[in-house]
Amino acid sequence: MAALVLPATLLVLGLLVAPMAILFRISLDRYSPTELVQEALTGENYLRAIADPYYREVLGTTLGIALLCTLLALLIAFPAAWWLARLEGRRRSLAVILTLFPLLVGNVVRAAGWMALLGRDGAINAALRGLGLIREPLGLLYTPGAVVAGIVAVVAPYMILTLATVIEAIPRNLEEAAANLGASPAAAFRRVVLPMALPGIAAGCVLVFILCMNAYATPVLLGGPQFKMMAPAVFDQFVRGTNWPFGAALAFILLLVTLALTLAGSAALSRRTAPR
Amino acid sequence: MALQSLTGAVSPTTLPAGDGFGGAMAGWRLQRLAFGLAVGGAYALILAPVLAVMLISLFAQEIVSFPPDGFTLAWYGNAWDRREFARGFATSLQLALIAAAIGVPLGTAAALALDRSFRGRWQALGGALNTLLLGPLAVPGLVAGTALYIFYVRAEFWVDDDIKGTLPGLVAAHVLLTIPWTVRMVLASLAGLDRAPEEAAANLGARPFTVFRRVTLPMLRPGVVAASLFSFIQSFENLELTLLLVGPGRTTLPVAMLNYLEFRIDPTLAAVATVQILLVGALMLVTDRFVSLSRVV
Repeated sequence: MAALVLPATLLVLGLLVAPMAILFRISLDRYSPTELVQEALTGENYLRAIADPYYREVLGTTLGIALLCTLLALLIAFPAAWWLARLEGRRRSLAVILTLFPLLVGNVVRAAGWMALLGRDGAINAALRGLGLIREPLGLLYTPGAVVAGIVAVVAPYMILTLATVIEAIPRNLEEAAANLGASPAAAFRRVVLPMALPGIAAGCVLVFILCMNAYATPVLLGGPQFKMMAPAVFDQFVRGTNWPFGAALAFILLLVTLALTLAGSAALSRRTAPR
Repeated sequence: MALQSLTGAVSPTTLPAGDGFGGAMAGWRLQRLAFGLAVGGAYALILAPVLAVMLISLFAQEIVSFPPDGFTLAWYGNAWDRREFARGFATSLQLALIAAAIGVPLGTAAALALDRSFRGRWQALGGALNTLLLGPLAVPGLVAGTALYIFYVRAEFWVDDDIKGTLPGLVAAHVLLTIPWTVRMVLASLAGLDRAPEEAAANLGARPFTVFRRVTLPMLRPGVVAASLFSFIQSFENLELTLLLVGPGRTTLPVAMLNYLEFRIDPTLAAVATVQILLVGALMLVTDRFVSLSRVV
């Protein structure tokens, strides 16, 4: 029976672990214009990426956008997750489908939708003009704001579903008990519900933060040519440039920064949830 | 916070004393309204782009502008005539079917082994294998795609044949996408499984394989169906992992759409996107008939 785990394991080892190991090895090589990758054992690609003001800015933008989008997604998703968690039967199924549907439709399709909504002649500009609020169309598309809206919309369903699972497990009569003991709804929420929902909040934020850090289609399509995040920068190194060692180093910087912040964040949250 | 109002748990009489009864009711209604707006706003944000795409695919004018000059279905024909979209659709469909057909059995087998073996002193190994199999979810698609790209380029040197830009190369990558979802979903259905029917069948003389085929597998059906659907959709809509692995003449639908969108958005592209939206929506509804989606996610 135990052997049944082998085919899938070998596949993941061969197609994920081994390629990642090779990518890491190449990040320590040196670039050469003639043979592309020259074998070496150097950290200079990492140093160059960290020292270069351009890539520092790209990493800074990525971090800023990812943190902002994670926070916004949490705020937007919480009420929706609550609503979903307290539904039952057929209505609950429908709400889950409604949440899952945009998620499964894919990032490219949703970015296309935002382009139609935010463009110069898009729905939002047309509506504002129709209401007489503006004369000239606003430049909404190809701005950081468009990227934030796009990414938040992409990740919000993940947050809703993760939070709903946890909220569902909070017994409703705990809130009743808090209310009977004289707690206002706000106090009951803060003192009873929120602490119990914290593991879900942590799990949702970690998942969403990783997705935000690695967003590709949304920044490329909604951010315009001047706007750069890490995932598109990695892609550019391999397609538009030929500097594999440097591109590999960028990929690992993205991976490590995401991992470090994810671990730090979950550690901070789990300290808060630990019994005092 | 307006959230509690939804539960209906707090009846007016249990509200703290000192709050006027009428005032509490008004505050309550306000909280309920604010809550409703927050939920509605969240769903508007996540559904608006999908609805916008479907809407503009019907616009009569070629340059997207609101309000529309009229409505037409002509762009769907136009989209089908564009080779990159027709072939992209065919490639994505083929790819998703093959990847799911390979990945779901492998993932189901792995989930069974993880659930049934690896007890006692092997538990830690089981945990590690579980983490490894969920790995493709944890490694960002673009980074994994980059790694596979280099891997393929190097491997091409050894086998002296194309891998990058071929169907087998894409299938191998996409099977990777299907494994973690399958393992996760089948493990979830195994966790809630009643072992008594299997024991009864074994006691009545059924051989292990017969027990598996006649008892275990039918009980796992919801999980496996859901895993197949998710695997198919994950493969069909994947962009990041695929981006570097496509080749000339073999592009998936999402990559074809991305390349087009880097220049413009028009009703033709929206028509292609709408086809993808409708396909995904139909698959979700079909699956929901087999297994309630609210139970598996």
